[in-house]
Formats: sequence, structure tokens, C-alpha cells
Amino acid sequence: MTQPFRLSGGQIDRSRLVRFQWNDRWMSGHPGDTLASALMANGVRLVGRSFKYHRPRGIFSAGTEEPNALVQLRKGAAQEPNTRATTVELFDGLYATSQNHRGSLEWDLLAINDLLAPLLSAGFYYKTFMWPAKLWEKLYEPAIRSAAGLGRLSERPDPDCYVHGFLHCDLLVIGGGPAGLAAALAAGRAGLRVIVADEDFRLGGRLNSDREEVDGQPGTDWAKAAVAELIAMPRVRVMPRSTVFGAFDHGIYGALERMTDHLRQSDGKPRQVAWRIYAKRALLAAGATERAIAFGNNDRPGIMLAGAVRSYVNRFGAAPGRRVAVFANNDDGLRTADDLRAAGIEVASVLDARTGAAIVDTRGRKALRQIILADGTRIDADCLAVSGGWSPNVHLTCHQRGRPVWSDRISGFVPGGVLPPGLSVTGAANGTMTLGAALREGHVEGSRLAAELGQRPAKGGPPVAADASFAVTPIWHVGASRARSWVDLQNDVTTKDVTQAYQEGFRAVEHVKRYTTLGMATDQGRTSGLLGLGVLADLSGKPVAEIGTTMFRPPYTPVAIGAFAGRARGKAYRATRLTPSHDWATETGASFTEAGLWMRAQWFARDGEAGWRDSVDREVMMTRRSVGVCDVSTLGKIDIQGRDSAEFLNRVYANAFLKLPVGRVRYGLMLREDGFVYDDGTTARLAQTHFVMTTTTANAAGVLRHLEFARQCLWPDLDVHLISTTDSWAQFAVAGPNARALVSRVVDDLDLSNDAFPFMACAECTVFGGTPARLFRISFSGELAYEVAVPARFGDAMMRALMQVGAAFDAVAYGVEALGVMRIEKGHAAGGELNGQTTARMLGLGAMVSDRKDAIGGTLSRRPEMQAEAGLRLMGFRPVDRTQNLMAGAHFLTQGAATDTAHDQGWLSSVAWSPELGHSIGLGFLLNGENRLGERLRAYNPLRGQDILVEVCSPHHLDPEGVRQRG
Amino acid sequence: MDENRLQAKAPLGGRDRQIGRARLRERDELSLVSLAIPLGGEAELGDALKQAYGLDMPDPRRGRCKGDIWALRTGHDQMLLIFPHPTPDAGVHVNARLSTRAYVTDQTDGWVKLLLSGAAGLDALERLCPLDLELAAFPVGASARTVMEHLGVILLRLEQDRFLLLSARSSAESFWDAVAMSCEFVVD
Amino acid sequence: MIINHPLLGPRDAAEFIYKGDASLIDRPDGMAEGALAAFDAYLHLRDNPAGLHRELWYHEQGDRSWLVVTRNTLTHEITRVELARDVARAQGRGR
Repeated sequence: MTQPFRLSGGQIDRSRLVRFQWNDRWMSGHPGDTLASALMANGVRLVGRSFKYHRPRGIFSAGTEEPNALVQLRKGAAQEPNTRATTVELFDGLYATSQNHRGSLEWDLLAINDLLAPLLSAGFYYKTFMWPAKLWEKLYEPAIRSAAGLGRLSERPDPDCYVHGFLHCDLLVIGGGPAGLAAALAAGRAGLRVIVADEDFRLGGRLNSDREEVDGQPGTDWAKAAVAELIAMPRVRVMPRSTVFGAFDHGIYGALERMTDHLRQSDGKPRQVAWRIYAKRALLAAGATERAIAFGNNDRPGIMLAGAVRSYVNRFGAAPGRRVAVFANNDDGLRTADDLRAAGIEVASVLDARTGAAIVDTRGRKALRQIILADGTRIDADCLAVSGGWSPNVHLTCHQRGRPVWSDRISGFVPGGVLPPGLSVTGAANGTMTLGAALREGHVEGSRLAAELGQRPAKGGPPVAADASFAVTPIWHVGASRARSWVDLQNDVTTKDVTQAYQEGFRAVEHVKRYTTLGMATDQGRTSGLLGLGVLADLSGKPVAEIGTTMFRPPYTPVAIGAFAGRARGKAYRATRLTPSHDWATETGASFTEAGLWMRAQWFARDGEAGWRDSVDREVMMTRRSVGVCDVSTLGKIDIQGRDSAEFLNRVYANAFLKLPVGRVRYGLMLREDGFVYDDGTTARLAQTHFVMTTTTANAAGVLRHLEFARQCLWPDLDVHLISTTDSWAQFAVAGPNARALVSRVVDDLDLSNDAFPFMACAECTVFGGTPARLFRISFSGELAYEVAVPARFGDAMMRALMQVGAAFDAVAYGVEALGVMRIEKGHAAGGELNGQTTARMLGLGAMVSDRKDAIGGTLSRRPEMQAEAGLRLMGFRPVDRTQNLMAGAHFLTQGAATDTAHDQGWLSSVAWSPELGHSIGLGFLLNGENRLGERLRAYNPLRGQDILVEVCSPHHLDPEGVRQRG
Repeated sequence: MDENRLQAKAPLGGRDRQIGRARLRERDELSLVSLAIPLGGEAELGDALKQAYGLDMPDPRRGRCKGDIWALRTGHDQMLLIFPHPTPDAGVHVNARLSTRAYVTDQTDGWVKLLLSGAAGLDALERLCPLDLELAAFPVGASARTVMEHLGVILLRLEQDRFLLLSARSSAESFWDAVAMSCEFVVD
Repeated sequence: MIINHPLLGPRDAAEFIYKGDASLIDRPDGMAEGALAAFDAYLHLRDNPAGLHRELWYHEQGDRSWLVVTRNTLTHEITRVELARDVARAQGRGR
């Protein structure tokens, strides 16, 4: 007979059958079931094995606080461990398996751990597996690792996609139970923009599980009507399946919405959305979580929270057993007997702990059979509903500086301390434990918040319900129990563990938590925390109020890492920036390299070339012999205009800029305020009050930020304005002896003779019959060179046209690798030398730093230490044995000196193979370098196993007079 | 010499796609010209703007529109003019009309311009844009500069369900992917 | 975190970049007597308040304005946001 434990009633759709698989057995349930309720209806009692002792476990609760029924969902790449069966919405084709057993769930080989329990008590791993030490890596650790953890990951990439989202509201109601719904109705009717978020797929909270009436109708019907009214309000957003997991600064809340976990197919839609909710106000109406009472062998399948028993009977129409006993220290729990009888389930016994009834032990390893009282009475039962009282869900109030306070009235912690600004609490989360009061409180709070935000509250009173008694006496555990009594079911922590920790001196609640791991499982101690505190209270003789409680931190319930990552995976991990000639470069077979977010052509391999060195050598040789073209669009370009532009530049560059003539470009050295070199570039003066500054690719954003700081914060009354034009212009370097010839065929009507357009000249012009352009005669390669810029829309066409015209000169396209070789040959500083640790003086540019003006960095660049005579200096290096290759990062040592940092002379910062010279060359920094030309030193690189002799030379390996670029 | 003239290329080649109940298309015919307001010259520029284009100075959160030209405030002393103009001399044109009242920089080529429209446009933006886009908070004509998937974006609401999105040209493909993916992710 | 921009209204901190203490506005005169010591103090000496802190934020993904934000380092509450250029002028900075 299918579903032998199915009852009539409940909020499930009996007209439809849902088929699912549990441990490879097909079973049936109905829409509206959770996996737990469907398993229960099918008579499945054993659902998992406990963490440490592998004890048989059954369903304990009906919500996110579930510590036992942790299952593995799905097969293949989407397999997800440690999912609470109590929150999984049943759907057709669902596949679930039990976890944490070796062999079958019924016959778990690791159940032997239970016999080893005395060895596995609190903190055992600090005291065991010590000897012999060499067995740790070989035996102990692998054994522990394979036994540790609960479920198994698929270890394959997550096939689902996730996304982030942003929502804004006046009021975020966290929790759609009676208090939350009453508040949302009041606020929504008053015209506020409201979001109501509930972790369940059906709003209503306890109204769906208890048989209480609201406004004269069944609570669950009232909830349904309330939700319908809220959904119909245009400014209200109802979000089921959405857990608000964190309360962050300034009214920002994190919420995780499960979009497709309850569907068979995701159809490419995001599985989950991590919402960032900006709320002017928030109302925590998260209800309360029931806790148990600890007694001997209180962890058997069939022992459940009383409120959960009511959930299964009333909401899901599933019987947790045929003969149910009830054990509670409060009125609410004892009322479970009424619900059982109303559903036609036999009540074995009702035990009120407050009158002395005490359970000390139980029987039934894989399913509860019998409970044993302190006076020896044995009662047959296949289910035991336990209630130790309810703990308000105060978690979000602690995410910033809140500290819960003890309430004797409810024997639980209520919100206290400084709550996150803008967050208030209502209903059971606030310690208001009865239905009528919760509805009233929610209604009043919703109206109050509406008024606070300037809306007139709607007319009408709160929903009406009775206030049944919840009187509770704090009884945490049955002291008379001899057998192990569980406190934290998920981490297998017993009262003996807490006692042991206390005896070993771990008395502060934070220490007990960490030493015993109580409250550190995926349920964050939702049902166990207070039990542990109760045991501590008894041991120490202090009241729980004085013991205090540990803190709760986001996330409230586990959140998949994928949800936090959102789309940041694969191609979407970060943006890619492409140069204007990218398509042409791809067609030409370029190899690309990442330069920050940019993709830059590194070299352009040709057929027959064996490796990248062949390509790069060719590009360098052809450029230096004839002409080469390189896309340099990625360098930062900042357009600077204003009456005070020159004055501004004079203050941000270390060298003089006031008198730069119109139509000229100048190298600019930019220091940080601490005197170290920050960036360099060239700045061209296009008009009296119009400059264009270039920066290195890497520092483009940083330099603009730095300049805006100077402009707005240091000299706000200078008339100077900045805007980035990096992307606006496609810019190409044309370099080599034939550069002038090539550029002449491209540029319209401009005298490019050396007199008319000398080195460091610039002009606005046109190219190819009228396309607006800019021409700069600057050289990074050291060759005769120009940079031509056109609006980016023409960049692709420009590259093609340059190469077409350049064919007459055997022009080559060269990439950043050849660019690097050439500048190293010339001795130009770049990234390796401008790493933020070098000064102008070290770079040989000390004379450029003017001491006749107050420019950024000037003062501190004149620190005595920075001006030391025999300090580090940029020099050139080549291997004594020309067949050897230099390695960047090597450090210099004088021959015969000890090989230690005390004798460190400097380091190699950039190296390259020079095709022209036919050997490896480098640039680096050497103490007193300018006075050590010709000296032979060791270049020592222990990380890469190199120790060779090098000789010191000028950093200008080629054309030291700079004749080529000035020709 | 027309055959020698360089051909212009739009960042996304004029891409136009219907994605679910949203439509995303490139509006490359728009030119963008940035105006920097000289120190102490806001009033004069305001006059010049009115005279040349019939536009009032835009507010930090609200653009101005006259005919097919928009003016947005992009900074304390900076504005952006947006208007259809296919040739690369938009800056020259603006410069001519505003004379010396503003520092002009043609920004047309630095940006990719996308139009997002359709019933699902707002839902897509919910997955992309941190700003409050409820009509009351961000009415027609409202403009803002913000960040979407780590990319800087200028956003202008042309109509209730029509948004102009401007982002850096070099990352145009990444920006398209980000917006298109958001449209695909909308659950009907 | 949200910064309530004086002109633009509340914006997510993701649009901003933090620089440091607002005292960075008071750049010393590099040509004056004692400039070396003054710049050393300007760059390297800081108070570390447990409480209100005036600090500089740059609205890089917004209107590129620099802001002086008064933020409580204990509670994270932001009590004041001003345009840095206004603060600079009020402190006598001009040309």
C-alpha cells in the first residue's frame, strides 16, 4: 500500500501524485509535501546516520533547524550534500539519497564508532592520534578525512547558474507568519513599498501547522487570503522560498531566493538569486524555533519536536507514528496530544516534566519502540513528541552589535543590545509567544512604521485570535539519565561532552562551544544551543542569564558559494577590454596576453616559425630595419582643458611643464607624494589650454583618480578639467627608419620633415583623405617613430590601411613582446622599473625633479636617504658568457662576497634577448651603479637555480646617443 | 579620394536582439559630447546652452531634453550632450555653437550605446543595477552614473520602459553579455 | 554600506574607492621652512579613532566627486557627507 502513514487533511494536493526516488526506491507523495513529509507518509523512519557515532537517525523537525535528515539531492554534477529533507519541496522526479554511511543506510559499517564513543568525546582530536608521529600523515589523517564530513560533493563544476539582484523597499518584512503578515498588511494598506520574504514555499508560518483560528476562520485559510491580498497590492512584493540571511550596514539585507530547486528543469534560468535589499526599515518576524529536552538515548528515529509532529499531522497529513507519546516542560508542547487525537492517532502517554515526569532512556535502535521513565515505567511508543520550549529566532539582530538578553518569562533569549539601525522585531522572534498577541503586535508595528515613513496608517484593527497559554518551566535535561543524552544532534555532542569540557576548565560559553563543537554544525545550534547552556548552568550553579549565549553570524542558513559568486564564473568572471585592432589581430593569427582587463597582441606568429622567439626576433629586426606598427591604444589618455591646465600639470609632474609650447610633447615624470615614482607618460599641448596626457596602461585609472584628488581637494580653484579618452582614440605606434615614409603616405597635407615636425612634436591633422587624427612624434622603441591616433570607430580600418600602405616597406605588425624587447634595448623604464619602490634618482632621472616648484612628491624626494650618493642606480647588464641568458629577479653580488642579503648589491628588473646584439641583455638596479661600468658581478637567482657572471654597462644597449629617434 | 576614406565600425556592429520580453539594440548613430563648465562660468554656459539648443542646465539626477538632444549632468562641473550625429565631427559642431563657454571633448568613440526596452527591461535591470528604478524614484528623464557587473554605466530613462545605457567602448562585448544575460535570466 | 551623496542621494559603497584620512586635504607648502617634517607628518602620522572618523571617498563609478565622509568606526553610522571641494575651500585651499 503506498503511503501507509498518510492521513486525511493537510495542505497537500491529493488530486496529483508526485513520484520521487529515495535511496533508489520509487515512492509517491503529493504537491505541497516536503521530502521529509513524503518519506514519513511512506513509513520511512531511518533517514541518516549521525556525524561522529553513525547512530541511526530519523526526521527531528519540520524546518530549517533540522539536524538529522540531511540528504544528498540529485545525481551528477548538480549533486548537493547536506540538504535538509524538511525544506526540500517535493517535485516529480526528485532524486535523493541518504548520506554519511559506509555501506547501506541500514547496515552502516562505521556504526562501530558508536562503540568507540568513550574515545571520541569532546576534543578527542587534541589528545589522540599523536603517536607514533610518523603515522599521522600516512594513516591517521587520511582515515579521519575519509570519515569526516557528512555528504559528498560531486567535485564537478556546478552546472547551474546564479545571479545577483537589487531590490529597494520602504519596509522589508522578514518572515511571513502571523506577525509578519499582519505587519505587511498594515504597511501595505498604508501605501508603503513592502517586501515580504519567507524561507518557506507557503507563507503562514505556524498558522499552517497549528489548528488555531484567526478572525473566525482556520489560520491557514486566513494566511492564504492575506497573501492573496498582499500579492494584489502593486507596491508589495511577496517572496516565498526566500531566506533573508544577513543584516548588513545601513539597511542592506542579503536574501537568497530559490528559483528552480523545486522544479524538475531550470531551463537555463538561475537556480538561485542572491538579492541585495536596500530597506529603509526592516521588521524581523522570523518566529521561534522549538528545542528539545535531553535525556538518555534521546536521538532515536521517531523522537521529534512536538511542534514538528503537529506540522506533519496538520499541514502535511503525514503520521509520524501510530502510538505517540508527548513529553514537554510547557503548555504549548502538551497540546500536541489534542492534535494527535483529532487526527485519529493513538496517544501513548502525556508526560509533563514540570510535575516530575521524566524520561531517562529509550529503546529501539533503528526506530523508537519504547520509552523508560525515571520510576521504571516502560511505555510502548513508536514516536515521541518532545518540547523544551521555544527560542525566538533572534539571529539577524546579532549580525551587527546586538546581544540577546535572557527572559525568564519565556525561558529564552530575546533581542537585546544595539539592534541593527532600522530593524525592529515582532511576534515570537520578539518573545511574543501567543497568536493573538503576535497578530496585534505585528499590526501595530506595521502601522507605526508606515507613520514613521510619512504614510497615514489604514483604518481597521488587527486580526483577532486567542492567546493560548505557553507557560514554561526551564528544564533542560533529565539529570537522572545514565545513558548518553544528546544536546547537539548534528555534531553528536552529549551532556557528557559539555560536562567534560567544564571539568577540563572550558567554562566560558565561547570555549565550551568550540571545544565540544556544540552549535557549530550547519544548523548553527538552532535546537541545541540552549540545551548546552542549560547544562552549563546546572554545572556552574549560575543562571543561564549570566552564562550568556554565543553569537550568530551571517548567513542565517547555509548559502551555496555559487550564489555568492553570482555570474562571476568563466567568461563573465570579469570584463574584457579589446583594442580597436583586435579583430584584425585575431585574423592575423596574433597570440594574446592579458594586460589587466585588456587583451593585447603579444606577437604575430607566421608560418614556419618554430616558437615565439622566432616571431618576436623577427618583429624587432624588421621594425629596426624598416618599419613596424603596434596598437598602443591601451595606454591611458586623459584630456586636460582649462585656463590653469599648464599650472596644474606643473604641479603634478616632477619636471617643468609651464612653458611647453603648443605643438610639442614632453615626457612627464609623476611622483607619489612620498617621493617615489608613480607613473610616467607623455603630455602633448594641442592648444594653449588643451593638453592630452598619457599614462601607463596599468595606472590609467589610478592616475585619473590621483589627478581628480589634486584638482578637487588640493587646488579647487584652479580652472582645470579632466576626462578620460582612453577608449575614444585608437592609437598606433609606427616605428623604424621608414616610419616617416609610411606616415607621409597616410597623413594628409602635413610637412613631416625633421625641421617642420621634429622629435617630440605633435599636431591635429587628418588621415586618408579627411579622417580626423592626431600625430605625435614620440618613441618608446628608440627608432624614428610616430604615434597616430584616430577616433576609435576608425581603429580597425586604420590598422588595415597602415599595413596595406606599409606593405611597400615590408612593414610588420609587432606586439607587446617586441615592444618590450625594444624598450629594454633602449634602456627605457617600464613596469619592472616603475614598481612603486624606485625613485627618480634611481632611474637616472634625478635631474628632472625640479626643486624650484612645489610639485607632488618633490619635498619627500629630497629626503637625505633618497639622495644618497652611492644609492641604487638603473644600469644595463649583459652576461659575460654571451651564450647564457639573464633571468629577471636575479640579485647582484660582488665576486668573493658571502652569498647573503647583507651583501646584496641590487637586482635585475627586466631582461630580453636582443636580436640586434645577438645576446641576452637586462636592466636592473645596482648600488653606486654609474661608477661601476665594466665591473663583473654574480647574478644570483636561487629560486631558479642560476648563478652566472654579468658585466655592468649602460642601460642604453643600442644607440646611446638617441640618434635614430631624432632623425 | 573617397575610396581611400577609412570606414567606421560600430563597437557591436549595430546588434539588435529580442531576448524574451526585452529588446536590446545598439544605437551607434548617437554622438556624445562632454562639456566641462569653466570655473565660475556656469551661468554663462547656461545662457549659451539655452540659446544654442533651447536646453536648460541639467540637474545631477535629471537630464534635459529638447527635440532629439539630451543634456545630462555627469559631474559637478561636467555635462554630456547626446544627439544623433553620424559623422566624427560632433565635437566640432558643439564647439562652434557654444564658442568659448565650455571646454568641449568629443566622447562619441569612447562609448557603446545600448537601448533596452520592453516589458522585461526593468526586471533585467533588477539583476544588474543597484539603483532604485521605481518610477517615483527614477522618473522619465532621470539619469545616473553607476556600476553594473563592475562596468561603469551612464543610465538615462527615456520612457517608462526604455533605457539608454552607455558603457566603455573597449568592454562593449562584456557589457552586452552582462545586459543580455540579465534579460535571459528574467523569469516570466 | 551606503553613502548618502549630497547631490545624488544614497549610493552603494561599491561605486566608491576609499583613500584615507580627510587630513590629506591639508597638504603642506613644499617650498616653506620645515617642509620635510611637515610632509612626513602629513603622510605618515595618523590618529586611529574608535568613533567618528573623517575620511575621503572617491565616487569613481558615479560623478567622480571626492567626498568627505564622517563615519563612526564602531557603529559604521555615517553622520555627514560633504563635497570635498567645499571642505577644501572652507579650509582655505584655493589655487
